[in-house]
Amino acid sequence: MKRVDWWRLGILLAGMLTSVAATAAADPKKVLRTEFPAAETGFDPAQVHDLYSNIVNEAIFEPLLTYDYLARPSRLAPRAAEALPEMSESGRVYVFRIRPGILFADDPAFKGRPRELVAADYVYAIKRLADPKLHSPWRYLVETKIAGLADVIKAAEKSGKFDYDAPIAGLQALDKHTLKITLSEPDYNYPYILATPTMGAVAREVVEHYGANIMAHPVGTGPYRLDKWVRSSRIELAANPLYRGHTWDFAPVEAGDEVLVTAMKGKKLPTIARIEIAIMDEDQARLLAFQNGELDLFQLDGPLAPKMLDIDRLKPEFVSKGAKLSRIIDPEIQYPYLSMRDPVVGGLSKEKIALRRAILMAYDETAEIRVIHNGQGVVIDYPVPPGVVGYLPGYRRTDATNIALANALLDRFGYQPGPDGWRTLPDGKPLAITLTTRPDSLGRQQEEMWKRSFDAIHIRLNSDKKKFPEILKAEKSCQLQMRVNRWIADFPDGENFMQLFYSGNIGQSNTSCTAIPEFDTLFQKATRLPQGAERDALWIDMARLLEFYGAARISMARPRNMVMQKHVIGYKKHPIILADWLYADIDLEAKP
Amino acid sequence: MTAFILRRLWQMLPTLLGVILLTFFLFNFVGGDPAYLLAGKISSPEQIANIRTQLGIDQPVYVQLWIFIKQVMSADFGVSWSTNEQVSQIIATRIGPSLTVLVPILIIETVLSVALALGVAYVRGSLTDRSIMIVCTIAMSVSLLVYIIVGQYALAYKLGWFPVQGWGESFSENLLRFSALPILLGVAVGIAPNTRLYRTFFLDEINQDYVRTARAKGLSENTVMLKHVLRNALIPIITNLMIYLPGLLIGHFLIERFFSIPGIGREVILAVERSDFPVIKAITIYVAIATMFANLLADVLYKLVDPRVQLK
Repeated sequence: MKRVDWWRLGILLAGMLTSVAATAAADPKKVLRTEFPAAETGFDPAQVHDLYSNIVNEAIFEPLLTYDYLARPSRLAPRAAEALPEMSESGRVYVFRIRPGILFADDPAFKGRPRELVAADYVYAIKRLADPKLHSPWRYLVETKIAGLADVIKAAEKSGKFDYDAPIAGLQALDKHTLKITLSEPDYNYPYILATPTMGAVAREVVEHYGANIMAHPVGTGPYRLDKWVRSSRIELAANPLYRGHTWDFAPVEAGDEVLVTAMKGKKLPTIARIEIAIMDEDQARLLAFQNGELDLFQLDGPLAPKMLDIDRLKPEFVSKGAKLSRIIDPEIQYPYLSMRDPVVGGLSKEKIALRRAILMAYDETAEIRVIHNGQGVVIDYPVPPGVVGYLPGYRRTDATNIALANALLDRFGYQPGPDGWRTLPDGKPLAITLTTRPDSLGRQQEEMWKRSFDAIHIRLNSDKKKFPEILKAEKSCQLQMRVNRWIADFPDGENFMQLFYSGNIGQSNTSCTAIPEFDTLFQKATRLPQGAERDALWIDMARLLEFYGAARISMARPRNMVMQKHVIGYKKHPIILADWLYADIDLEAKP
Repeated sequence: MTAFILRRLWQMLPTLLGVILLTFFLFNFVGGDPAYLLAGKISSPEQIANIRTQLGIDQPVYVQLWIFIKQVMSADFGVSWSTNEQVSQIIATRIGPSLTVLVPILIIETVLSVALALGVAYVRGSLTDRSIMIVCTIAMSVSLLVYIIVGQYALAYKLGWFPVQGWGESFSENLLRFSALPILLGVAVGIAPNTRLYRTFFLDEINQDYVRTARAKGLSENTVMLKHVLRNALIPIITNLMIYLPGLLIGHFLIERFFSIPGIGREVILAVERSDFPVIKAITIYVAIATMFANLLADVLYKLVDPRVQLK
């Protein structure tokens, strides 16, 4: 009993010390006003599936790991963990040591007592992702990955209740501050998963205290806590007085980083006392609010970009007012695909391959970037986009846009024009391809661009408009013939993109229903390798196979432009960290 | 009158049933399957099936319909599928901001357009009448979106008379500061068509024999216009107003989106985007009920403004 009391006293003292540190760092005069272009849904790491809720979650909850703010490609760094995990058994076992003395933000659920973060909180948080009742969109990150978890899920689906106290072989709190995760299969990328906001620690007593209202009561150990929330309108975060603080200590990597380092090096964060986030649905409102000084930082989307940018830099009139731009290419790919399970375009026979290759070769993404995206896009040749481990800037595709070659290919494999001028199938039957798009402006514009390409190779194009849930449903059962899909990185490793074409993921992320035996063999081999030249060589072969079989055309990625006022310092858009303003500061002297 | 009201209330039940059936089948068949959205980027068929079970959308259609009817009867539509927030709470918290903007628009627009229409009807055929009608026709031809975009740019950003957007915590701040521009634009948009419409109502009355008789009796023009013409023209004006009333419940999504007002119009759009059926169902039912009550109110008001009207 006596020992327990000493322990509590220790935690209390640690809490008081960290409280003093964090409170001293955050200046009440410093407020960062930013915006979301779409409404949030709530703040339970296990339940939310939208980007914007997760941005807030990243400021409130702490995963074990995060990323080095300036390193590119993104590199893992410890957050609640003391260091990167100890890995063994070729990436099957990971052991984390959690920093002692980390405290959850104060909350009535703790009944006035300081509550230290322990390994069991991560065990609980991960179990919540697997609880069928919560229908977490992140269940796939843990279900088959963590040894023994799938059995508990099955039992829960049978009984209707997830047993949070059931021991799981792959999830063990070895002691108060040591967490051991054992995977079903080796996976060198799993630490990336553990850096997502979804993996933030939650306290079981908080979840049980708030029950069904947990989405409105986020309590974490991160630098901010939810202070005010008007749903779909306004989110206000206040610096968490119990947060221990983190030091801005990053080395410059890219041009321009030196300015950030000079301004920020050694600062204890957070220095900003409040983050005020307004939900602004309309582009014009965001732009005018920024120009009017009502916003400090905002995301300049494609349609707005020509108003402020000359392609990739701010227009002089904004520069003269002190506005600054942080721009990255999003870690994403846009890839039009033709389903390999479709009776007309699918399969591995030569004439089907020729048909797919000709269609994909007829498309000109540079025109799409120019016409639809106002120049806000870059052509991507390789399935791994910039900013992601495995990206190869020197890689050049073999399926470059070539209308003449596409027509020659179709002629050679018997897709001859009929009397009406439209090509037919080799057996003389009519040929028409159906492109499915969403019933929105982007969908309509992309359809127009594709119509031009199809006209150039004399193939009829049919239009199919579907609502997003219906598209997802049809894709999972390989019912779509053609679609322009997009994938943004869950984690910054090329495997996250290569898996899109692995046949084992048909019905899940492999929406093109690609099934190429050689590709599958190489993919399985590559997943067993750590990052490095050997794995890169396999990926190049896989990329060539995708081009050869015409499974999909890796086409483009969009930039993300963040514009900030003169007084926002230390900010740089990060490709993976969502709440990257956690590393920013406000220069009060530069503020009007 | 009481018997009439009771009879009309009774007649609402089959209408409501029709709305329930229409809403249910419409959204069930064209609304999309929310399980695929909720399941996230990567999900197995088992997860999808599990979510469908939890949402109750795997049940036979008649069971789902019966649950819907019970929800309507108990006014408890459960929780939002995307946010877990009680639907009643969503409506209760979003209706206030919508009404803060829309009620002043309705009142100001009605008073101004009635006054303007009465004035131009009185001087019909004059240069003033023709000028105002031309301005009204031009104003009607311009889209609401243009009013909002230009108004927000010119009045809020360039001239700085209003905030570009936002919403505060106190009613007075919201009404006087954040709603001022949306109200101004809403009134500007609505005043032109209403003035034209009401002018025709007044002209119809001005040409009636009873107006000539009143003038022959030596009544002043003020008395003729305000007591006789206005009162008799009120019936079509009330009809027009009652059409607007249920619209207060669904807010004004364009104004709310552009000015970041957390009203019910934005919520409806969000619910449709997210296939959030409980929210869509609740709002549709409430609007249907409001429409029926607005019609009943219109009938009662007819009787009050014109005792000759018989309620049968």
